[in-house]
Amino acid sequence: MTEPTMSVPVGGVRDRAYERELLVHLAKLRASDDPEDQRQAAKLRADLIPLHLPLVEHLVRRFLDRGEPHDDLLQVGTIGLINAIDRFDPDRGVEFSTYATPTIIGEIKRHFRDKGWAVRVPRRLQEIRAALTKATETLSHDLGRAPTVAELARKLDVSEDDVLEGLESASAYATVSLDAGFDDSESASITDTLGFDDEALTLVEDRATLRPLLEALPERERRIVMLRFFHNLTQSQIADEIGVSQMHVSRLLTRALVKLRKGMTDAHAD
Amino acid sequence: MPDHHEADATRVQLRIPASTAYVSLVRTAAAAIAARLDFSIDRIDDLRLAVDEACALVMADAPGDGEIVCDFLSSSAHLAVEIAGVSRSGSTPSSASFAWTVLSALVDTVSATVTDENSLVIHLAMNSIDAASANEFA
Repeated sequence: MTEPTMSVPVGGVRDRAYERELLVHLAKLRASDDPEDQRQAAKLRADLIPLHLPLVEHLVRRFLDRGEPHDDLLQVGTIGLINAIDRFDPDRGVEFSTYATPTIIGEIKRHFRDKGWAVRVPRRLQEIRAALTKATETLSHDLGRAPTVAELARKLDVSEDDVLEGLESASAYATVSLDAGFDDSESASITDTLGFDDEALTLVEDRATLRPLLEALPERERRIVMLRFFHNLTQSQIADEIGVSQMHVSRLLTRALVKLRKGMTDAHAD
Repeated sequence: MPDHHEADATRVQLRIPASTAYVSLVRTAAAAIAARLDFSIDRIDDLRLAVDEACALVMADAPGDGEIVCDFLSSSAHLAVEIAGVSRSGSTPSSASFAWTVLSALVDTVSATVTDENSLVIHLAMNSIDAASANEFA
């Protein structure tokens, strides 16, 4: 039956014993058939996630020099954390952090592997990419606009060709995992986006073909397409707006356009 | 480093088979030329996408064994690109199509013509400074 209510105190806890108690309590609630226990389990689970975010943050730091934006890594790392919370069995007697660490790192590594980088992009390019991501963020901030290739080359003390090659590899190696860690359902913008979609689309004559294709896009890609083409924001502005790097926006936009173009072509061919 | 702004109009021409497999060459050339003109990486990305879109439009109307000719005309901070191929329909793409909306958002000016030789030409032009974002940051 229902245990006395346990919850995460406001401001979080730094007490391992108490953290452990919470996880044990979560396991008990989950094992119960009582709907009230299940409801409490869901709430406790949701509270436990932010409580352990410092662990994710700590692990993400190891991967920061590899060219992926911090926020993106934090997102996938958090997925790993949630999986760990869901699978943790307190009876096995290991510390939660010991159990969660490989799960979180595994998720982050998968993020890199899914991009095909480990095998396909030469190490030198990966390094340039990493440096480019960082330099682009710094320069954009300092200049108040996206930097030029020459500015990036000067900043990094490499040739302009190297910069171009690095930027090209960014779009060339975009693969399916770009949405890893992005939960469509939690985005509050879905409804707003759909709202302005229709209005913005009225001027497009092939909107009947376009609308289902847009709707089939992952929410974030659709949002980027709308902001770029119907609201004329620049890639940098969109990056600020949705909180990812400009290079990530570039990759998502490229991928979305390829899908839309293919969809339009297929529809016309029918 | 040479001062790119001193250069007068320079023409680069690229001729590719009308197949998507070769479009990456056009993208790469466009990016390299735009970088020489000191385009920001935002604008270079936009140009890459626009060239992609324009090539797709021209190829959609070109015979499979045809050729696509791409001309890049650059002068100081301005780049004009012409993507041309034989047109089976003899008509220009509709300016109300989604593809056209995309092109218009990506470059400063875009237009299409069908020549007397029945070639569809898409003209794109871009300045190194994006007027919209320049205002935004002013």
